[in-house]
Amino acid sequence: MTFFDASLLRSGEYHDWLVQGFTTSLQLLAASFVIALPLGVAIALMRTSHGRALRGLGATLVEGIRNVPLLAHLLFWYFAFPELLPEPVKLALYDSNPEFICAVIALSLYAGVHMAEDIRSGIRAVPGAQMEAARSLGLGRLASLRLVLLPQAIRIAVPPLLSQTVNLWKDTSVATVIGAAEMMYQAARVETATFRSVEAFTFATLAYLTVSLAISLAAQLYARRFPVRT
Amino acid sequence: MATRRTLLACAIALSAQLALAGGAHADQLADIRKKGEIVFGVLGTDEPNSFIDPKTRELVGYEVDLAKAVAKKIGVKPVFRQMSVAARIPELQQGHVDVLAATLTHNKERESQVDFALTHFVTGSKVMVRAAGGVTALPQLAGKKVVTVRGGTQETNIRAAVPTATIVTFENTQQAFQALQQGKGIAYVNDESSLLADYGKLGPGAKNFTILPNSIGVESIALGLRKGEKSLKAVVDATLRELETSGAANALFNKWYGPGTRPNMTKRTFSIHTDKI
Repeated sequence: MTFFDASLLRSGEYHDWLVQGFTTSLQLLAASFVIALPLGVAIALMRTSHGRALRGLGATLVEGIRNVPLLAHLLFWYFAFPELLPEPVKLALYDSNPEFICAVIALSLYAGVHMAEDIRSGIRAVPGAQMEAARSLGLGRLASLRLVLLPQAIRIAVPPLLSQTVNLWKDTSVATVIGAAEMMYQAARVETATFRSVEAFTFATLAYLTVSLAISLAAQLYARRFPVRT
Repeated sequence: MATRRTLLACAIALSAQLALAGGAHADQLADIRKKGEIVFGVLGTDEPNSFIDPKTRELVGYEVDLAKAVAKKIGVKPVFRQMSVAARIPELQQGHVDVLAATLTHNKERESQVDFALTHFVTGSKVMVRAAGGVTALPQLAGKKVVTVRGGTQETNIRAAVPTATIVTFENTQQAFQALQQGKGIAYVNDESSLLADYGKLGPGAKNFTILPNSIGVESIALGLRKGEKSLKAVVDATLRELETSGAANALFNKWYGPGTRPNMTKRTFSIHTDKI
């Protein structure tokens, strides 16, 4: 038994499992990201709006979700939430891929509220005079938000948002607890089948590291290309 | 239960083989008779095979009773030494114990390390299905979703039995069992004794679930002996054979595994008759 058998990672059944896990992790990241970002914008706008009820709702969502560990979220959305659904919806969910779907719900809510806080900081960093100027040019409140405030706010928020995306990527690994067949799940499966834990977890570590570094690099390039206007 | 132990013991057995000196022994049975005692290696923490009775504080169990029968047959005093799962085979090979009565799974890999007496217990993974799912036999699980625990041999066993089943594993058996109850899978795989315990917990809800009759991944538990001790093996096997023919073996099964006990198995599906696997 060699210490490190790289052939296991290059081809064969175990290679396929690991690659499948990597792909599922990327799918989890993509699906959660496209839900989390708009959700983050919506919650950030709620928290910065003039309506008291909206502000309260936004704050409740953020605090309620942010202060519970991700593991608890996953177990709740997988084991508890579907049981509360009406029977036909529940059965439809169970017939599809509940592990993946519930993981996406938990991850996107969790990442969404963190992104909301980053976007809110971005909005607060835009000088108030920008909004006043937009309104005095005759733009409505929504148009001012969309055309003047948010483009500037998002640009300020991009570096923390990308760092939040790195977190989301790493957090996909927790989905293993609800049986979503992502990277960690498949690495553990290879370990069970072969006892080759070093190879399997090296593969997983390198996969996480590569994607995380790629996202970080994108953040740096973006900050250089589009510096925050002052 | 035997599965994780099996894995650990395999690893230890490999290293122990390297450490083992090939010194020739005098006949072990003669030594035992001379000493007047036979030393059994037991786990002591593994109900109902060998464990400490909480009331009497004494070591009891199915394998303890078998060991006592062997000692009685030879006419010596039984001595029990408690050991960890991983230390079993090295302790035997180094001569610290004479016989292992430690829930030792008999498998091909180990036959090069130790000799095995007649198989005295047979266990394996079993499958529980939701009655509404209409599954009555293993092949019907093809293409269906099956839940089980991660890290044991259960996943390997069900994959070998039904290669096309979709298997989803969880961190522990409770979560997997809950997933079955909620209808997230059609079947649930676990070690037979744990599965029966889970089934017992269902209470009136048990009518919604069925346990498929066939075991998957059958494991044979046997006493372990040092390699090449023919006369000792002969007397151990003879003891076991006598227990079987006299009906005492069946009585011991009922005492430790049968109806009313914690494992609550209704029927013995094996007999003590072979040391082949």
